[in-house]
Amino acid sequence: MHSGGIWGFILRRTLLGLLVLAIVSILVFAATQALPGDPARAILGRSATPQSLAALRAKLNLGQPVLQQYWNWVTGLLHGDLGNSLANQEPVSTYLRPLLINSAFLVFLSGIISIPLAIAIGVWGAVRRDKAFDVGSSLITMLLAAVPEFVVGIILVVLFATVVVQWLPAVTQVPPGGRPWDDMTGMVLPTATLVIAVTPYVARIMRASMIEVLESDYVEMARLKGLQENTVILRHALPNALGPTFQVIALNLAYLAGGVIIVEYVFNYPGIGGALVGGVTNRDLPVVQALAMLVAAFYVALNLMADIATILVTPRMRTTL
Amino acid sequence: MVDTPRELPENLDSFSLSRRELLMGAGAVVLGGSLAACGSSSSSSSSTGASGTPKKGGNFRLAVTGGGAKDIMDGQTIITKPDQARLMTAFETLVVYDTNYVLHPHLAEEVTQNKPDQWTIVLKNGIEFSNGKTLTADDVVYSLNRIINSKNGLFGAAGFASLKPSGIKKLNATTVQLNLTYADAGIGQQLGQYYNGIVPEGYEAFPKPQHGTGGYILKSFTPGQQSVHTRNPNYWQSGKPYFDQVTITDFADATAQVNALQAGQADAMTDLPFGEVNVIKGHPGLAVLVSKTGGWLPLCMAIDMPPFTDNRVREAFRLMVDRQQMVEQVLSGYGTVANDLYSPFDPSYDHSLPQRQQDIEKAKSLLKQAGQEGMTVDLHTTNGAAGMVDSANVFATQAKAAGVTVNVHNDPNYYGDQYLKLAFSVDFWGTRNYLPQVANGSIPTAPYNETHWPPKSGPGSNFLSLYSQALQQLEVSKQTPIIHEMQSLEYNYGGYIIPFFNDLVDAYSTKVQGFEPSKGTLNLTYFGNGYTTIWFA
Repeated sequence: MHSGGIWGFILRRTLLGLLVLAIVSILVFAATQALPGDPARAILGRSATPQSLAALRAKLNLGQPVLQQYWNWVTGLLHGDLGNSLANQEPVSTYLRPLLINSAFLVFLSGIISIPLAIAIGVWGAVRRDKAFDVGSSLITMLLAAVPEFVVGIILVVLFATVVVQWLPAVTQVPPGGRPWDDMTGMVLPTATLVIAVTPYVARIMRASMIEVLESDYVEMARLKGLQENTVILRHALPNALGPTFQVIALNLAYLAGGVIIVEYVFNYPGIGGALVGGVTNRDLPVVQALAMLVAAFYVALNLMADIATILVTPRMRTTL
Repeated sequence: MVDTPRELPENLDSFSLSRRELLMGAGAVVLGGSLAACGSSSSSSSSTGASGTPKKGGNFRLAVTGGGAKDIMDGQTIITKPDQARLMTAFETLVVYDTNYVLHPHLAEEVTQNKPDQWTIVLKNGIEFSNGKTLTADDVVYSLNRIINSKNGLFGAAGFASLKPSGIKKLNATTVQLNLTYADAGIGQQLGQYYNGIVPEGYEAFPKPQHGTGGYILKSFTPGQQSVHTRNPNYWQSGKPYFDQVTITDFADATAQVNALQAGQADAMTDLPFGEVNVIKGHPGLAVLVSKTGGWLPLCMAIDMPPFTDNRVREAFRLMVDRQQMVEQVLSGYGTVANDLYSPFDPSYDHSLPQRQQDIEKAKSLLKQAGQEGMTVDLHTTNGAAGMVDSANVFATQAKAAGVTVNVHNDPNYYGDQYLKLAFSVDFWGTRNYLPQVANGSIPTAPYNETHWPPKSGPGSNFLSLYSQALQQLEVSKQTPIIHEMQSLEYNYGGYIIPFFNDLVDAYSTKVQGFEPSKGTLNLTYFGNGYTTIWFA
């Protein structure tokens, strides 16, 4: 394997990713501009009198031509300045930072629980194919995959927070200045909701992939060589089964970033989902742009990592780099 | 996100007796005397059995929907409901309304209209802002100037159209005189609007320091999330407030609010969805607060735009409505049938005008006479307040019976450039008495005149002159006949279809005492009268 190979690959993909981000920024900008109404009207709503509108418009510098606004934003971004929120005139970075940390923690927590759990369920189901565990877990994963996230969330709240028992909080309260890990009981139900949303898909793909690998020649060869079953599964079958799964894992992690918004509504979790919806409603371009770029960057990075991971576990692919 | 249901940033005012008697608070019927001095009981005249002696302490947690990144804290303006909730923690007005919609002196000792175009305000002694500064006439002068300055774009400016900076005069440390540019009997009511708070000289909105005369001091505030307010030890009403702290949290979703209440993470919430009323009632530690207010959701016909230029069409439309069905379908029964007239609590409201009933046959015949049989019309609405979209849809269904096709348009950008320029639209208003409501919506200079009333010629064209006359009367008894005439014109020729007055429905934990149904615009008994008349049992 040429070391230039994989690093060259990463470089090429990173540049491509930056191009994607640039296109996303233009699209988001155009889309927000296409929305009817201007930020001043959106913010003031019905209380917009001609005077209050004029006062706010002046304050927000809305008179500039559109391309000028976009250019200002791009140059600001390259200097690390995301501009100021139109809704509350705070710097976007200050406003979004705590929300981002909250959302990222939720995604992180959900990810490190759901992915290993899903892999374990998928592998075990494949190894013990058509036995009790497999049949049971297949049924449950299919059921959970069919239920929408917010329904899962609400059911969890009813079961554990309000009606059946009151062991856990129904809403997650992160006081301003606080962090979500200060009160982990508040993280349980939102995380559980996301884990339940994501695990079924990854588990089923893992199982299918594992079944296929377990039927392959080299696994049969490993068994014939007399290797222990555990070694066969973990050292020979699993790495090969994981390859195709990485793409799905990446897709589901990316889905988590979006699924967060539903969970935020159900649990009143202070994250970026509400900020994005509010930003669009207020025509708060700096906030919307910042969040769009963030989510797009997250997708791009995830895809890149999934591809790298796939290559790493599939030595054959490294030679084609 | 769109505005939350029943977000009603409207003012509320009421006058039940002669202005002079009431505001002087001396020798006035029932209310004035006992309330001129602040007592330990609430400022409500109807302080019906608040159970037990108020206990001190606790952190009162309020869940409100409607906020977001654009949350503000300003003693003299609001945009959303959380803004209202926060304003009420720290700022007070010269006079206040009680749960019966009656005005009482509060920060002022008296507020008197000496002449049709002159008012005098006398402050109480010894009231301090939370930073220790004494409330004086200078602060009142600054407060009024800030409100009427059009550059500030504050909510209360329209109500003080008759007051110019040169007319605000300090007579001595506790007295301010207002010399108006024209006779205006509505000033006293404007001074009672919750968003016309009295602020210290030099005051500016958040993020500058927030010092008011109210019960709590702002400790921290993150717009879109949460604010914390701590007890003001300097509060002028001794013994109050009772809570150590008030925490106001923004919620994006009503279901999450209800869950928080049920899980014991909140003590009260605003705007309980009608579908959840039984859930709350079934819960042992929770209660529902239903307030029959004067809030209304009119269907507005612009009288100068076709097809509504013909009064027969307007009358036909008013006759097509099945008002009781509207109350049931739009409000789930939480409302009262109305008669196309606003300000039900105004002492001069004309109750003798016959209640309109649905009359499809007459509607059809009127439309035929006007040559508008089987007409089609566009009706614009939005998710501005709970019921706005439902009203439009229910009306469209009812109109079919008269052969009228109504195309409902739900515009997300409703309060944009087309607002107030549409022939047929839905809007929302809070409780307000007659003259201030006219100032806000029924004259050419009003900021929200959806119907473009009054007409320039024909019946109703004398409305403006009647209004001036009414403003010049110092006694309610002299105003009443004029207002009756004005209402009769609106009843017969106006552009509003007002099917009902909506209730405000809130929910709270039974650990909190002191909530009472209220006729005014604000939820939860004016947020517990600034969180000073509620306590933990």
